[in-house]
Amino acid sequence: MAKWGMVIDLDKCTGCQACTTACAMENSTLPGETWQDVLFYHEGEYPNAQMKWLPRPCMQCESPSCVHVCPTRATYKDEEAGGIVFVDWNKCIGCKYCMIACPYGVRFYVDEKPLLEPDLREIFPGENQQLWSPPYQGPDEDWSKGIGVQPPGVVSKCTFCHHKVSKAPEGTVDLDEDNPAVKEYVPACVRTCAPKARYFGDLDEPTSQVNQLIGDKHGVRLKDHTGNKPQVYYLGAGAGVPAFQPSDKGDKS
Amino acid sequence: MKIFQAMMSRRRFLQASGTAGAVGATAAGITGLTGLTQAKEARASRPRGETKITKNICHQCPARCGIDVYTTDGRVHAIYGDTGNPIANGKLCPKGHLGSYFLYDPDRFKGPMKRTNPNKGRNEDPGFVPISWDEAFDTIAARLNNLRERGESHRFAHFYGRGWGASDAGLYGDFGKLYGTPNAAIGHASMCAEGSKRAKRATDGNDSYNSHDLRKTNYLLIMGASFLEAFRPYNNMMQMWGEMRSKSPKTRVTTVDVRMNPTMAASDRALYIKPATDGAFALAVAHVILTEGLWERDFVGDFTNGRNQFEAGKTLSKDAFNEKWVHGLIDWWNEELKDRTPEWAEQITTIAAKDIRQTAIEFGSTRPAMAIFERGPTGHTNGTYNGMAIHSLNALVGSLFAEGGLGYQMGPAYGALPVNSDDYLDDYARNGAWKNQPRIDMARTERWPMTSHMMQEAGPNHLKGDPYKMDTAMFYSTNPIWTAPNPKAWEEALKDVFIIDTSPFPGETAMFADIVLPESTYLERLQDSPTYPFEGWPMTALRVPAIDPIYDTKHFGDMLIEIGKRINGPTGEFYKKLDNIENVLRHRAAGFANAPGDNGVNDFESWKEKGVWYRKPYHWRQIRGEFYEWEGESYSKRMTPAEVKEKLLRTPSGKFEFKSGFLEQHADYINREMGIPKERVGYVQWVEPKHTGGNRDLYFVTPKTPMHAEGRGANIPHAISIHQPIAGGRDTVYLEVNPETAKARGIRNGDRVRITSDLGSIEAECRYVAAHRPDTLVLPFEFGHWAQGRWAKDRGPGHSGEITANVSDPISGLASYYTGKVSLERA
Repeated sequence: MAKWGMVIDLDKCTGCQACTTACAMENSTLPGETWQDVLFYHEGEYPNAQMKWLPRPCMQCESPSCVHVCPTRATYKDEEAGGIVFVDWNKCIGCKYCMIACPYGVRFYVDEKPLLEPDLREIFPGENQQLWSPPYQGPDEDWSKGIGVQPPGVVSKCTFCHHKVSKAPEGTVDLDEDNPAVKEYVPACVRTCAPKARYFGDLDEPTSQVNQLIGDKHGVRLKDHTGNKPQVYYLGAGAGVPAFQPSDKGDKS
Repeated sequence: MKIFQAMMSRRRFLQASGTAGAVGATAAGITGLTGLTQAKEARASRPRGETKITKNICHQCPARCGIDVYTTDGRVHAIYGDTGNPIANGKLCPKGHLGSYFLYDPDRFKGPMKRTNPNKGRNEDPGFVPISWDEAFDTIAARLNNLRERGESHRFAHFYGRGWGASDAGLYGDFGKLYGTPNAAIGHASMCAEGSKRAKRATDGNDSYNSHDLRKTNYLLIMGASFLEAFRPYNNMMQMWGEMRSKSPKTRVTTVDVRMNPTMAASDRALYIKPATDGAFALAVAHVILTEGLWERDFVGDFTNGRNQFEAGKTLSKDAFNEKWVHGLIDWWNEELKDRTPEWAEQITTIAAKDIRQTAIEFGSTRPAMAIFERGPTGHTNGTYNGMAIHSLNALVGSLFAEGGLGYQMGPAYGALPVNSDDYLDDYARNGAWKNQPRIDMARTERWPMTSHMMQEAGPNHLKGDPYKMDTAMFYSTNPIWTAPNPKAWEEALKDVFIIDTSPFPGETAMFADIVLPESTYLERLQDSPTYPFEGWPMTALRVPAIDPIYDTKHFGDMLIEIGKRINGPTGEFYKKLDNIENVLRHRAAGFANAPGDNGVNDFESWKEKGVWYRKPYHWRQIRGEFYEWEGESYSKRMTPAEVKEKLLRTPSGKFEFKSGFLEQHADYINREMGIPKERVGYVQWVEPKHTGGNRDLYFVTPKTPMHAEGRGANIPHAISIHQPIAGGRDTVYLEVNPETAKARGIRNGDRVRITSDLGSIEAECRYVAAHRPDTLVLPFEFGHWAQGRWAKDRGPGHSGEITANVSDPISGLASYYTGKVSLERA
């Protein structure tokens, strides 16, 4: 079985957020339930200022803090699925312990006050035990892996688009959207990325595109000191961006 | 054990609320909590229905990306870029994925309606009641027939924004000719990006946006174009960005803008410029290119003695230089450019002379290089001249029609319509009184002689009754009652006009409508779309309905045809023969038979299947100062100067004009409106902008952001929730202010503030952004709606248009959206 990894080249990323909207579309998430977010930062002052951004999916850690703290084993790392960290919605009790433990802020609980009103959950009320049932929801559902629209009271997160990736032919090394044979199996955020700042493939296969990029371009993992060992790597001069404070916390105030 | 208790109570809540199901399989016990949690019926993977993929074109901006629309069990749930579409290449921008939210927008109109409340205003409930399509069409046709019988058909006007192609806005021409109105196609170009088109018309003779060969370029100078936010086709621009920034040699980028933005942030050099002074910067760059001897001699020409004699402040003899493909270089130098030094420009632009010089040397010594610009420089009273100065840089480095340079766009090989409107003209159409009437917006008249459209004038003109009052107006994909500068004037104007709105959504125009004819959303339509300028070679894409309309809606083109069928006389006959949009498109597609697309598309059916027809390559190429035409295998047919003039450099001189013959033809007008001496009007030159807002101290810019989904983003929760950058996002769109500017006014980060111009005030939340110029406020437009739907209505911040004066560049007619000055205070 492959160990799926993602590489994000911050020198090519344009901060457009297509990854964010593609993810929301593919996974039928609510506004604010941004499994794949882009954080914007700015630093310095006119006329010599910087603006940077950091696209942030779930890191699918090799040693995930969220899994260690989950009291019900609802959240688990599935080596059979390429090392993806899933939430089993059949087991999750919505205690949010994992959200506190996650160093990357990539877990979501959307049963409370909606980010935006009027509340979409009231406009498209939940049917068949779903939290909400939008007409545009995708056809894939697997609650044991946190895929589809969630039931009330659970934590949701990025699944590396397991419902797509898992259909890739056995032995696929590079899930490259430019290869017509595999484009349907590429995670939504990777598939749509216009400047091709994202790559997806097998970290266990030394010849994979992701390993080549990590090697050639000195890939780094975020917050490596935590020992979480993400399966997401960042490339580029901008890879140090998380040192800044996010701008929506307000700076110089 | 607080956690334990919390979980216990959570479980009890679930049971009490009735959502608890049978206790499912238990997890292996490790924590002692096992078995607590099974509140839901365990569910595993569910089977999916058959998924169908249809071709379409995105509707969120003008770029026209081909999309694959995924439908399962009759529901659209995913949209991805079409791999076979040369713009999209399988990719999308952030807006492209929003389509299903538009389709299933709960605020959509569900069918045709008429107004029952005669009073119109922001707070008037229109009292819409459903009617049949027949009643709607009959009502409109009766009105139009009556106008025509009275000899007042000119008082009917069509307004359109995003015209897509032959199946919608492409039908206007025949309608105007047959029915008899000069107002058959009042486009929104003058509220869009007309300035760049006119700057190109004035210099190289092409009234168009450029196509770009970005893949091959090695230097980009981007001025006020929002390349990584809104420049079109945005999706493809980002694809090219990825290529340019990772190829060898890496394309170097200098960006000049009035605010920090993603393009500035991602460039090699970011230069902040004072609003409206881009022309001064470009002239100084041109000055340095000449004094440093960096111009492209193969294209521009050279001194007769081969020595560079351009020296700051020194005039030259015209005889000293042999011009090749440019016109008026030495006159331009003597009359304007010789004094436009970087030091001079620093005083105007606030960009340091050393940075201007450095940029000029890089730009002038890297080939191929392109200077691109859009609304930033041109959204001011001096906009056309600013644009001409920037475009002149492309001539100086020889990038016009060159590899890695700029070209123009070829049209598709369309077939003819099944009927020719010339055969259906009655006497009224030929010689009726309408023939002597100007357009309501006075475009292409002595009032705006160099414009193509002046939509922003139509409302105010109607209010004044000058040149006349409209009777009936039909709107397609445009909403000037909200988007025009000073839109309140339009609210007054449209009170006594019979309004027909065709938007699928309850926009502001619809709130003034007498009849609502809701269009299907783009995922439900059959519609063509020839490309905007892209890479030059012809292309046209097709919208194929993913599903039948989910409500009682129609295609705009079919509405126009249905109204046409009900017009008395031969007009009705014409439209009966035209019949419907599918028929129109089938005849258009017949043109592909003799010009099959590179992807094999040669008729309507294959067009539907593939979603796009295109034929590479672009037919012309300038190579080292000679022009060649494509001859099937290579650019091998050398073009004569006459051919170049006819096809490429379409100016009076047949060359790139630093002394514009087009502008000189309007010397009296330019002199009168802008105070430029008649003998100087033709020169690419620095013209002082006239800012509105009097003595107010801050510039106010209102950019289009990447999340600005055309006409509708403000009512899409998934878009609003991530409306970034810089400081927005998370449900709030902020006014971005340099902290020093704010603090001087006692404004704290997060305070509610009031922005005031001569027209009034709007409010917003202040966000400190130290990366912006202290003299410039930044507020993304698109918000502050008083209609549009449950999320958009009354959502802050205020609408920038309400404090934007209706002032336009006299040459292009482009509304000066970015030229207003404002004051700022705590609210």
